[in-house]
Amino acid sequence: MKSKAAYLTPYFLWIALFVIAPMALILYQSFFSITGHFTFANYEEYLSSSVYLKMTFNSIWYALIITVLALAISYPTAYLINQLKNKQLWLLLIILPTWINLLLKTYAFIGLFSQNGSVNDFLRFVGLGSHQILFTDASFIFVATYIEIPFMILPIFNSLDELNPSLINASRDLGASNWQTFRRVIVPLTMPGVKAGFQAVFIPSLSLFMITRLIGGNRVITLGTAIEEHFLVTQNWGMGSTIGIILILAMFVVMFLTRDRKNRGGQIR
Amino acid sequence: MKKKFHLSNLYLILVFAVLYLPILYLIFYSFNAGKTMDKFTGFSWQHYLTLFADTRMISIVINTVIIAVLSALIATLIGTFGALGIQQLRKRSLRNCILSLNNVLMVSPDVIIGASFLIFFTFLGIKLGFGSVLLSHIAFSIPIVVLMVLPKIDEMSQVMIDAAYDLGATKWQALTRVVLPAITPGIFAGYFMAFTYSLDDFAVTFFVTGNGFSTLSVEIYSRARQGIDLEVNALSTLMFVVSLLLVGGYYALTRYNESKKIHRARAAEEEISQ
Amino acid sequence: MAGKVIEFRHVIKSFDETQVLKQIDFEIEAGKFYTLLGPSGCGKTTILRLIAGFLHPTSGEILFNGQTINEVPANQRQVNTVFQDYALFPHLNVEQNVAFGLEIKKVDKKIIKNKISDALKLVQLSGYGQRNIDELSGGQKQRVAIARAIVNEPKVLLLDEPLSALDHKLRKEMQGELRALQQRLGITFIFVTHDQEEALAMSDQIFVMNAGKILQSGTPVDIYDEPINHFVADFIGESNIIPGKMKDDYIVTFDGHDFECVDAGMKTNEAVEIVIRPEDLDIAPANTGKMNVTVDTQLFRGVDYQITAHDVNDNEWKINSIHKTTVGQMVGLNFDPEDIHVMRFGEDEATFDARLEQYE
Repeated sequence: MKSKAAYLTPYFLWIALFVIAPMALILYQSFFSITGHFTFANYEEYLSSSVYLKMTFNSIWYALIITVLALAISYPTAYLINQLKNKQLWLLLIILPTWINLLLKTYAFIGLFSQNGSVNDFLRFVGLGSHQILFTDASFIFVATYIEIPFMILPIFNSLDELNPSLINASRDLGASNWQTFRRVIVPLTMPGVKAGFQAVFIPSLSLFMITRLIGGNRVITLGTAIEEHFLVTQNWGMGSTIGIILILAMFVVMFLTRDRKNRGGQIR
Repeated sequence: MKKKFHLSNLYLILVFAVLYLPILYLIFYSFNAGKTMDKFTGFSWQHYLTLFADTRMISIVINTVIIAVLSALIATLIGTFGALGIQQLRKRSLRNCILSLNNVLMVSPDVIIGASFLIFFTFLGIKLGFGSVLLSHIAFSIPIVVLMVLPKIDEMSQVMIDAAYDLGATKWQALTRVVLPAITPGIFAGYFMAFTYSLDDFAVTFFVTGNGFSTLSVEIYSRARQGIDLEVNALSTLMFVVSLLLVGGYYALTRYNESKKIHRARAAEEEISQ
Repeated sequence: MAGKVIEFRHVIKSFDETQVLKQIDFEIEAGKFYTLLGPSGCGKTTILRLIAGFLHPTSGEILFNGQTINEVPANQRQVNTVFQDYALFPHLNVEQNVAFGLEIKKVDKKIIKNKISDALKLVQLSGYGQRNIDELSGGQKQRVAIARAIVNEPKVLLLDEPLSALDHKLRKEMQGELRALQQRLGITFIFVTHDQEEALAMSDQIFVMNAGKILQSGTPVDIYDEPINHFVADFIGESNIIPGKMKDDYIVTFDGHDFECVDAGMKTNEAVEIVIRPEDLDIAPANTGKMNVTVDTQLFRGVDYQITAHDVNDNEWKINSIHKTTVGQMVGLNFDPEDIHVMRFGEDEATFDARLEQYE
């Protein structure tokens, strides 16, 4: 009994100080105005301001586009990799870019998308002429999707990998075509992976702020950008915390919608 | 059938190309004699030379590595003992509750973690800088260590510990001679993940770093905001090589252990069948 | 011989609200092979874990060599366990596994070496010392687990269904080996199993358990021939259990007839159950035996035919016979008075033993 407590003391201390306390503090802070008075004004302002609401809606909309795009690209990729001979090696190659600093990958696109960058060179070469690519919504979505794809592929791959091959044989044995097997057996059984991927991509997409700054050129404002702005630029911590609480609520909603009803599988290893 | 095969291969090639092109692009231009990522005007090491002469950048690299090594070490210690404690909890509901709390920092967006830690440090009057960054990195690395170690502990049957007691081991002996060796792969994986999390982190550090202290991610961000700087390319090439070595080494190590095991099992099987 | 090593006095064990052991009393003598036999969940493994020290009794006393050991932790008890799935340490090789207990006790390195080689020889694994655990077959792991336990020279060796993971043939082989090993070492073995054949084949003494109680204890022959109640009769071997009435001492009525038997000491006209083992029944031509039955099914099993039949009162009869019958045919059954065993309802072991004392 004694040793159990000794094992857990630093860990419980961590839970109290770095999990519960900060979350409680952000909630607490959201009820204070910039001058330090207790108030509901932040929430009132947030809910009545068309700027904030539009920003929230945009942020969710962009996150949704990014997630759906990532899913559309990742599912076939995961499926095809799973059928390759050295699938673990190929999967490793998918994961490898995630070990490269996020900022460096983003930075690469500043070069690629710039006015005289390689992409514009290519467009001019095929006769489409050069375009303003950097600092557009499309570039933001592209880069964000690029960064999130591995996080979508991984859980889907794992759920495909766990799939018992005899289930597919059984489906074929019962007369299902390739497509029917895919639609009626493979897709439902890999849903936990898709949901896990959805969670892993959607929530960070809501809060990305450095891609919006570097690639979106402040045209796209996400919830994350707004929080950073309030905390580090305008120093309005109350309002920043309020948006933070909204982001946390959004996170819970997503987690609730994509929860695994059978409570198993599909988690990122 | 054959045609479809080609089509799917083409798709995979495309995906991999898109994944790797930007990285290769960065590396390629790090050797550019010119100053932009537009035109390759000739091969040169000059950006590497600038990088090695940049004492500010080098001290930031050292800081980043110190933070990563230290935070991963402390997080691994706390997380491993936490996981050992969690495993001993009898009550299912309590265990689930603690695991949910454990995962809060895993699922929370970086911005929220950064902002809430900033409030926390300010509230306690902790000066922003090395200390606050280190504490934050330890904090967000602990849950990943727990998640890497706990399955290994669960995997190891409780009977192993009983067997150790049965053979006369004390609690401490059972821990050091049976439990820790059995979960070592999980602990290593946890340390490795914590280390890379710390190296990679930008958002949390950005919030709690203050003015005097900087890590690589934060530095790259502030330089990237000012536009193209091929010194950053040179840096990214080096970082790419280091990550490649780290990941490669890590996988080689785990693969080596696995294959040794498989090899042995196979040898044993053959012998039995003889 | 040497006296009792282990004694349970009114031991009760509860987990939360449920009592898994209800007042257990027994004595274990030194140098014998004991088996705790019962269906899963009957509490037999709980008893083993109480002896090993992984569990502590809710109430009652456990004595080891006459001393209470209720509070003695597992690592300080002079017993060792062979675990169900062996529990060999995967990061240590065979030799290191066997050495574990001795190293903990800080035994001299040279002595350890000798003891390991003796123990491995005893389980016929000489030369396997450097092997890794995952290089061993199931039977070999089993032997290492035994070597790891006995090298510590325990007073009592506990075996928790150690053979259940092995295939049928290997299991038979290991049964013989374990029995031989126990006799060679001369220490007490307490073996837990749900396999009655295993229990009958190996033990000096069997404790038959169900629902947290010891129902009957005795030698394999005693328990097989004189089961105390319906459960034991049914659990140990195959049996025909028919309701009857005790007409008088040595006369029992069932199926509408009186039969001579060897049981006595019950009330007149007491309702009882009678047991006749299938192999004790002999087939005779119809109307020439003690009773008639009609054959329902017949299964050839190599050594004999397994026949099921029913009598006029629709009692089912199992018969093992070397003679073939025809399904649907009426046949006679013959049996001797000593083949009939009479069981009273709700008789506990003490009264049962006392009653047998009276007339035997």
